[in-house]
Amino acid sequence: MSTVIAGDDVYAIAEDLFAAMVDGEPGTVRPWTAPVPDWADPVHAWVDLHGAWSGRAVVTTERTTADDLARALLGLPADEPVADEDLQDAFGEVANVVGGNVKSLLPITGTMGLPQVAHVAPVLPGSSVITQVLLDWGGRALELTVRDAP
Amino acid sequence: MIRVLVADDSRVMRQIVIRTLRQAGYEWEVREAADGEQALEAVRVDEPDVILSDWNMPGMTGLELLRRLRQEGFETPLGFVTSEGSPEMRTLAEREGALFLIAKPFTPEAFREVIEPVLA
Repeated sequence: MSTVIAGDDVYAIAEDLFAAMVDGEPGTVRPWTAPVPDWADPVHAWVDLHGAWSGRAVVTTERTTADDLARALLGLPADEPVADEDLQDAFGEVANVVGGNVKSLLPITGTMGLPQVAHVAPVLPGSSVITQVLLDWGGRALELTVRDAP
Repeated sequence: MIRVLVADDSRVMRQIVIRTLRQAGYEWEVREAADGEQALEAVRVDEPDVILSDWNMPGMTGLELLRRLRQEGFETPLGFVTSEGSPEMRTLAEREGALFLIAKPFTPEAFREVIEPVLA
């Protein structure tokens, strides 16, 4: 069974997430129109979905952007250092919200794992990308990827 | 004053829930629990007026927390605050006895829309 998750739907999830949780107002994300970023110091956060359809929702961005996200979510000043624990929590929660909303798009029931965060891209052997959205958040790139597990 | 227990394994999300309650105009007395076990113990020690619980938590999930509370005789009103807001989840939550389900991401207005009728 092939599962379709539209890029527009993932983009809408991101728009709502940033408007409601990060910036407190709409219109802070737009599609990334520049060339695909060559990540210098990436951070990846993901949740796994299990059930009749299994897959993974991943959020990838530069460490500096993830720190900015964490500061916004925690209400920290712009120059406040972000502890690893807070980065894991905040960026993991971003993946949690994306994953949960992706799960809600699926016509079948299943379960969702807890978010994980790492500096190395997670590998899901045999999986393929079914949707990928690149966002521009104030000039910073974020990549949302939904993978279909075999 | 209404006393609320906010249960979520994410400290970030607990802060966001508390911040959103304030932004929605709810100046409630807040306690926090970092997982289902902590929430259950917090209720046993001092039952709050309402519980706002995440669904997906390590160890005891929000659903398991609700079931344990009811098994132990606590009728504390409980609402889920979760990233999984599908119709199926809402039906399951309602069937299990949750008063409401607020889907993440949420706004202060969304909180009021869901909580006001419950307070009435």
